[in-house]
Amino acid sequence: MTSRHRSRAGNPTPTLSPIDVELLRNGLASICDEMYTAIMKSAYSTNIKERHDHSAAIFDARGRVVVQGESLPLHLASMLGLVEVVLERYGREGIRAGDMFISNDPFVGRGSHLPDVSILAPVFRDGRLALFVSNIAHHSDIGGMAPGSMAGGMTEIYQEGLRIPPVRIVAGGEIVDDVMQMILLNVRVPHERRGDYNAQIAGNRLGLRRLEELFQRWSAEQIESGTQAIIDSVARRMRTGIRDLSDGTYRFADVLDDDGMGITDIPIKVTIRIKGDEIWFDFAGSAPQVRGNMNNSFAGLQASALYALKVLIDPDGPTNHGMLDPVHITAPEASVVNASFPAATAARAQTCQRVVDVILGALARAVPDRVIAASNGANGVATFSGHGPGGKYYLYMETIGGGAGARTYKDGTDGVQVHITNTSNLPIEALESEYPLMIERYELIGDSGGAGKWRGGMGLRRVYRGLDHTLTFSGQGERAVHPPWGLLGGKSGGRSKIEVLHDNGKRQPLAIKPSSLEVPPTAVVSIETPGAGGYGNPRQRSKEKLEEDYRSGKFSAGFMKKHYAFVPKKSKRKP
Amino acid sequence: MLNAYLLRVKAHHLMTVFIGVDVGGTFTDFSVSLPGEHREIVYKVPSTPADPDRAIVAGLRELFAQHGIAAGSVVRLAHGTTVGTNALIQRRVGKVAVVTTEGFRDLLEIRRQTRPKVYDIHMDHSVVLVPRELRIEVRERMRADGQVHVPLHEKSVEAAARKLAKEAVNCVAVCFLHAHAYPKHEQRAARILRRVLGKNVAVITSSSVYPEFREYERFSTTVLNGALLTVMDAYLARFSRAVGALGVKAAPTISQSAGGLMSIGMARRSPIRSALSGPAAGALGASYRARTAGFADVITLDVGGTSADVALLTRGEPDLVHSRTLAGFPLRLPALDVNSVGAGGGSIAWIDRDGLLKIGPHSAGAVPGPACYDLGGTEATVTDANVLLGRLNSEALLDGRMKIRADLAAAAVDRLAKRIRLDRLETAFGMVRLVAAIMVKAIRTISIERGHDPGRFALFAFGGAGPLHGSEVARELGISRVIIPPNPGILCAEGLLNSDLVADFVQTALALFSATSLARINRVGNALTARARQWFQREQVAPADRRADWSTDLRYAGQNFELSIPCPAAPLAARDLDEIAGRFHTAHEQAYGFKQVGEPIEFVSLRVKLLGVLEKPELAKLAPRAPGKPIHTRRVAIAKDAWRDAPVYRRLDLAPGQQFEGPAIIEQMDCTTPLFPGDRMRVDDWGNLVVDLAKGA
Repeated sequence: MTSRHRSRAGNPTPTLSPIDVELLRNGLASICDEMYTAIMKSAYSTNIKERHDHSAAIFDARGRVVVQGESLPLHLASMLGLVEVVLERYGREGIRAGDMFISNDPFVGRGSHLPDVSILAPVFRDGRLALFVSNIAHHSDIGGMAPGSMAGGMTEIYQEGLRIPPVRIVAGGEIVDDVMQMILLNVRVPHERRGDYNAQIAGNRLGLRRLEELFQRWSAEQIESGTQAIIDSVARRMRTGIRDLSDGTYRFADVLDDDGMGITDIPIKVTIRIKGDEIWFDFAGSAPQVRGNMNNSFAGLQASALYALKVLIDPDGPTNHGMLDPVHITAPEASVVNASFPAATAARAQTCQRVVDVILGALARAVPDRVIAASNGANGVATFSGHGPGGKYYLYMETIGGGAGARTYKDGTDGVQVHITNTSNLPIEALESEYPLMIERYELIGDSGGAGKWRGGMGLRRVYRGLDHTLTFSGQGERAVHPPWGLLGGKSGGRSKIEVLHDNGKRQPLAIKPSSLEVPPTAVVSIETPGAGGYGNPRQRSKEKLEEDYRSGKFSAGFMKKHYAFVPKKSKRKP
Repeated sequence: MLNAYLLRVKAHHLMTVFIGVDVGGTFTDFSVSLPGEHREIVYKVPSTPADPDRAIVAGLRELFAQHGIAAGSVVRLAHGTTVGTNALIQRRVGKVAVVTTEGFRDLLEIRRQTRPKVYDIHMDHSVVLVPRELRIEVRERMRADGQVHVPLHEKSVEAAARKLAKEAVNCVAVCFLHAHAYPKHEQRAARILRRVLGKNVAVITSSSVYPEFREYERFSTTVLNGALLTVMDAYLARFSRAVGALGVKAAPTISQSAGGLMSIGMARRSPIRSALSGPAAGALGASYRARTAGFADVITLDVGGTSADVALLTRGEPDLVHSRTLAGFPLRLPALDVNSVGAGGGSIAWIDRDGLLKIGPHSAGAVPGPACYDLGGTEATVTDANVLLGRLNSEALLDGRMKIRADLAAAAVDRLAKRIRLDRLETAFGMVRLVAAIMVKAIRTISIERGHDPGRFALFAFGGAGPLHGSEVARELGISRVIIPPNPGILCAEGLLNSDLVADFVQTALALFSATSLARINRVGNALTARARQWFQREQVAPADRRADWSTDLRYAGQNFELSIPCPAAPLAARDLDEIAGRFHTAHEQAYGFKQVGEPIEFVSLRVKLLGVLEKPELAKLAPRAPGKPIHTRRVAIAKDAWRDAPVYRRLDLAPGQQFEGPAIIEQMDCTTPLFPGDRMRVDDWGNLVVDLAKGA
């Protein structure tokens, strides 16, 4: 079905026409999407099945990502280095048809945190290694000190869970039961986890079958030159986009509240240099790695920087290894943005969010019309576990969104997942049927959107109660101290807060990264996530917008008066 | 008004007339069947989007006059409407308020807490239909197991009602947590609201609109239904009056998203059920035609100017899905599993920043249209490519009424070709292949990804541009046979003639799928049985015409997505459970590649689909005639650098049984079918073109 096109001078491989490249890319992307959906629908972990915290990708034989399906920016991180590591460990000759490799370690496996487990399968054609398919999924538990493997209070990776180096989980087409048993013994609720591993393996098998079919249409040479062209095309998109940015050097800094282990005000700094169609990110000046689990691996840093750049210059384009081509990233060794063994990394998403914020802040001068003010800058996590009234052990983890930064021409979004994560909430009716928990409130927090010509998005309040049992709660927030900043005169958004509210009226404020706290059924855990910064001078906000802010009840009269000098007309307000 | 379903007269006894009318954006199509006279009439009038019923009345009047039809002999008038869909897209809907559980007024606004596109920080979801000040909380709370956690505080409901009385709302939607399973609080709150607000405000509950778990989707569906109540009520009343005034005595019926028809009464109560009915009628029309012609397993491909709709029919039955989006909001109601993609005749070709050629989803539409229409469009569209390849007539379309400027098509394609350094024809070929690839991807989603091998199916191509791309799409999917109906452009109207009355009911109650939960499962079953009986009675379906298909939604305990497994009618016996469980394991393996025998299975919902079987006119057969001869020949590009002379036939000239081999072109008023070398075409008894594709092409 494809025609061979003229070769470039001096290039022995046939090049495909721009039409054939697009057709091949379509075909590979379809396969990724199908793997993604199959895993989502058959998995057990809430993170995968309902919150879609998983991704699928196809790599070329050299281990470069060619297509990544609909998926999370952070997962690209764990994908970028995975095949390289497997190739280094096993060599091409050590990788056989029917093998699948499993890995989750940020250090030896170049992942980003332990709960994200990758499973990789080589694809052979006529006895030759041609491609790889892989998927990554966030498991509800990977063992370690605390249920959910995400809690704070740990200082080295051994405490965070089971470290899996790249090893075979499938050999000769059969699951390697020795390895599977070893993993399952180390994780909580093993029968559910088995379902997750099964879903991931089946997802890869599906990808392998689909590629077999694709091979009937495309020759080996066509695939080789086609995948190269797909990577090149993304590199070209990136270069075109970077060329549109003004040359120059841009700086910005922000601070993380704390690491949950006593280290506070942790700086994240970036210096960005743009010249022609290339860009350099240097994170010199960022804090040394911390005791707590806020450390980011280099892969996580790469993914965050690529995300921030892509939203500014090419939001609609595909993601693959070509994105790295014009991008140079440096960061001090053993720093909070480029951690070394044995740093704890479970909460690296908090740091990734802040890396995105500082990049957008730095580039505000270069592209003020495309950046947005600081978003909630956190990845609020709540983990609940315990023995329900029936005595059965349960474990539930979720992440909560917050405000999104105001834009140059409209308000920021209220109560939403931002930047490097976009996981869905679990419906309350699903949550309460499955776990002995009750959500008592889930709402926007009044006055939490930073004032501005365009206001920042609002934070979320979610209130949890353990039904008829004492539960164990661990949480993780950010921006309880340093609020999300506004841009060009816009004000800061609301800060986050975690409290236990007892039915007798007693308020018990908690640190923003509480670990393994017991909460009786006569109290609720209330989590408030940060809002977001405003954009532009609040005094320029339109009358219609001000009236809507007030009428909707999202902002109090006091707030409106203080920031906007707005005095409502009488009796316009419905509670 | 006489009830149409009681008029079960035998078609050959007296003159009976069946009419299907489908209102589209540009045309209002009529398909008329007079089975007594073995006659079918197709008719088109321009649509009147502001008041769609005007075009219907005008068209009916003309039809009755031109064909000597007495209005009183119409026994079925089935109507497909997009009034609801358009009202929602334009947000010209009723004013809705929401009364909800304390602590959750923002739920409709928070949605699922995600943004529409990961890398797009500028894009937002549609603005919530109910502004925050009209979302009022009342004190009440049910637990997941039906225990009352906080009793309904009636005073707070009364206070809410009094507040809303001043707001001139059209509808109040009562949306409480866990009401899908435990609706008592919702029902009591609704009674209080009705009492205070009086007759002029419709009060609906989430548990009556669609009692399924997952609160956001249920609330969203309820609000959408509420928003359409006034719009559809006004439209349907006007429509019924207007056709009544013409002398039509049969009660009109309205087409549904899940396929099938509903009475006007049901459509006024549940207007949201009509919202995605457009593509469903086409799929049903294809199903009826394909089954009549002896093909049970078909994939439908309906291509218009801006989009392609595809559906899969096994043994003539389309699959249902239970969640779709409408105007940017989730809708949890059964709908035919029709997959729509932005690929049609007007789709624009463009070069992306990576230098690769892309097609759509932007379309030149009817105005400014493809470059070759000379209506102001300058961008290269799929239609322009087809003109350059000789597949479409390069002088005129629509029986000569619309002039075509091939030179403008060439200029538009040349501009693209230059930028990707290919020649004109290579580029035109590329465009046609890319648009086919988009359609192929859409079909893969509903076939391969659902565990069906498309190679076992025939492709049923219709819509103005479906037959143009059918064979290319079929070949890519390993399909060997393509079927093209006699009037590809009005199949939706025809589908309305061949549908039954349909209703779907569902009830959720999470339970372990085992003998210990049998009583709970059967309580749900009994409730559904009662609703089914009530529906049959209300819709006056005679006992002999009643059908009920039961299924149960199951998953492994701990999963979150269910598979619908057919089951016997409620109540179930303990021995049924094993067999159903066995089917579930098999279905899971087919869908996801593995099964977990021994793991507990969870029962989520029971569903029943009810049919009130209606009499359907037989499809008319094509009258015998002398085989048609080509009217001329033209040069058609088969592949790059391979032009062939192809005889051009007029579709109206073709006789039943006539067959020939490609290359050839078959032209009709609003549609062109190319046959490629080696493809064998036969006209069947009903006038369908049945094309067997050349092997190995």
